[in-house]
Amino acid sequence: MNLTKSTSADGTTLTIQIKGKFDFNLVQSFRQAYAQINANIVKVIVDLRETEYMDSSALGMLLNMKKTIESQVGTIEISNCQPQLRKILQISRFDKKFDIC
Amino acid sequence: MIHVLIVDDQALNRILLSKMLEEDGYKISMAYNGLEALKVLETQDIDIILLDVIMPVMDGFEAAQKIKQRFDEVYLPIIFITSLDDQGSFERCLEVGGDDFIQKPFEKVILHAKIKAHSRTRQLSKKANQQKELLQYHHNQNEREHEIIEHIFNNSLENQDKFKDHLDFNLSPASMFNGDMFLVAQSPIGNLYCMLGDFTGHGLAAAIGALPASRAFYRMVSKGMAVNDVASEINTLLYNLLPGHMFCAATIIELSSSGKSISAWLGGLPDAYLIDQNGDVKQVLESQHMALGILDEDEFEHEVIHFETDHETRLAFATDGIIETTNKNDVFFGEERFLETLKSKPMVSCENIVGYVSEFADGSEQQDDVSIVLLNCLPLASQEQVRETFSTLAFNLSLSLNAKQIKQTDPVYDLVNILSGVGGLKDHRSNIFLLLSEAYNNSLDHGVLGLDSNIKLQEDGFFKYYEMREKALAALSDAMIIIDMRYCPDTLSLYFIICDSGRGFNRGESALSATNSEFGRGLSLLKEIAEKVTYNASGNQVEMCYKLS
Repeated sequence: MNLTKSTSADGTTLTIQIKGKFDFNLVQSFRQAYAQINANIVKVIVDLRETEYMDSSALGMLLNMKKTIESQVGTIEISNCQPQLRKILQISRFDKKFDIC
Repeated sequence: MIHVLIVDDQALNRILLSKMLEEDGYKISMAYNGLEALKVLETQDIDIILLDVIMPVMDGFEAAQKIKQRFDEVYLPIIFITSLDDQGSFERCLEVGGDDFIQKPFEKVILHAKIKAHSRTRQLSKKANQQKELLQYHHNQNEREHEIIEHIFNNSLENQDKFKDHLDFNLSPASMFNGDMFLVAQSPIGNLYCMLGDFTGHGLAAAIGALPASRAFYRMVSKGMAVNDVASEINTLLYNLLPGHMFCAATIIELSSSGKSISAWLGGLPDAYLIDQNGDVKQVLESQHMALGILDEDEFEHEVIHFETDHETRLAFATDGIIETTNKNDVFFGEERFLETLKSKPMVSCENIVGYVSEFADGSEQQDDVSIVLLNCLPLASQEQVRETFSTLAFNLSLSLNAKQIKQTDPVYDLVNILSGVGGLKDHRSNIFLLLSEAYNNSLDHGVLGLDSNIKLQEDGFFKYYEMREKALAALSDAMIIIDMRYCPDTLSLYFIICDSGRGFNRGESALSATNSEFGRGLSLLKEIAEKVTYNASGNQVEMCYKLS
């Protein structure tokens, strides 16, 4: 499985971790990962530490997620990007829409 | 056979004694004075010495002293040969090391009894000496092994002094080996990991698990894995390795390179505290899980906690050695005193805290390893990456995909993997993937499958688009996409040409799209990442140049 999700011990943070490539092949599973989000969740972390590749379809998926859950979740964070992926996010001005750290 | 040395300058005495003793089955050697006796002792294994007092060259007093000095490891009895009128010299005989007397004229029964008694004592002494030597041997062996192991342990701990601004720590083992373990490492993207572990017990038996655990920790951090994956890896390793009653309570921390967030896996150590610079507690972090090495892989609990930090925040965590330190009245140091010490002064140091703890213990013997860590949540410089050198071999790579191959393969991913094997290109693999993925999917989606990006503008259009794509792809029967690649080591460039059998379309409009829109992001990304992107007039072929420098 290239996508795993886990909830923190205190139940307030949902982490979606993507392994390998983040592209349109994950459209369904990525949507499902945040589809029925628990009411206690105040923060969603998309953890890209093991993501090697992403393309514009991944950017589309991230934007869709933001649109769907931003009213419910306080913070959406994209974390642990490798330098080249961070650059892709910056070129696309995603640093204005997400907390990238 | 008991070997007796008779030392006497008078032949009569020597003959009398040797006759009496030979009859009883003793082995006899003889000397005429003290000096000769010493010579005999150097070459023969003598058990008992019968020593005359008055002799030429060296008398019995001097000889006795020298013999006792020379052979001090095993009891070597000296029985002085005296006459009744020698009574005055008895005391002197004892002073110089004599063990007994035999009086002239000799009485066989008494002589026999004395020799028997003293040789029994000598046997016991011999045995004790052998045991002492054996013990000494084992002790030396032990020392040597400890030195070797200590050397290995010290070498297994990397990086500990590299992060002086971020980490202040103090480890005080109760014995030579530390059952507590503190590991530090930085991941490729710059996150700082540290792990404080406390193995059951202390000393070598407790420390032994630190070796494999530290290797696993460094390996996982070098891959930039999440703390729960690091914990899970070490758990499985210790579960398989350690005996059932041994485990490792641990706190594993990952501080983001920005210094602004922490992920923590907490298994079995006392509460950790998020404090400000004055030591006031902002958050108490309780242990969430069982220690490492107890649960098997399936039962293992992965949950971590996340929290935000700032550059003034510090995280204090310790093994139970501190709060369980007792004083002479068997009172524990306890959590409250620990919290007091954190507040005792601004930016309190581990040295300060350990100072308070030992002041409290007031000379009571240290029962357990005492370890404490203070982590300052400051940003980190990312590590210098070692760049691969570029291959000097120029090459072309070309592939053409028919409808069946388009449906069944993932050519972009496979191509990136192939190119990553070329010296120097691995560092650029994310960009190469992006270029190929955007160009190939454009050709496929719009050229070959004829999909319209405007679908994405509809309600739920994004997902509709990919559903339609799937259907169109399944129905595809006649199509071709050609990918040409060229690597030029001289200019450090990669050239790509991607050409499809579609009718082509106008690329102009998508370039105008804003970042908010659901599509068109791909093309602007291409233009940013590539040096040059050009389409042919009919819109079914794209050429890209990517600079590797």
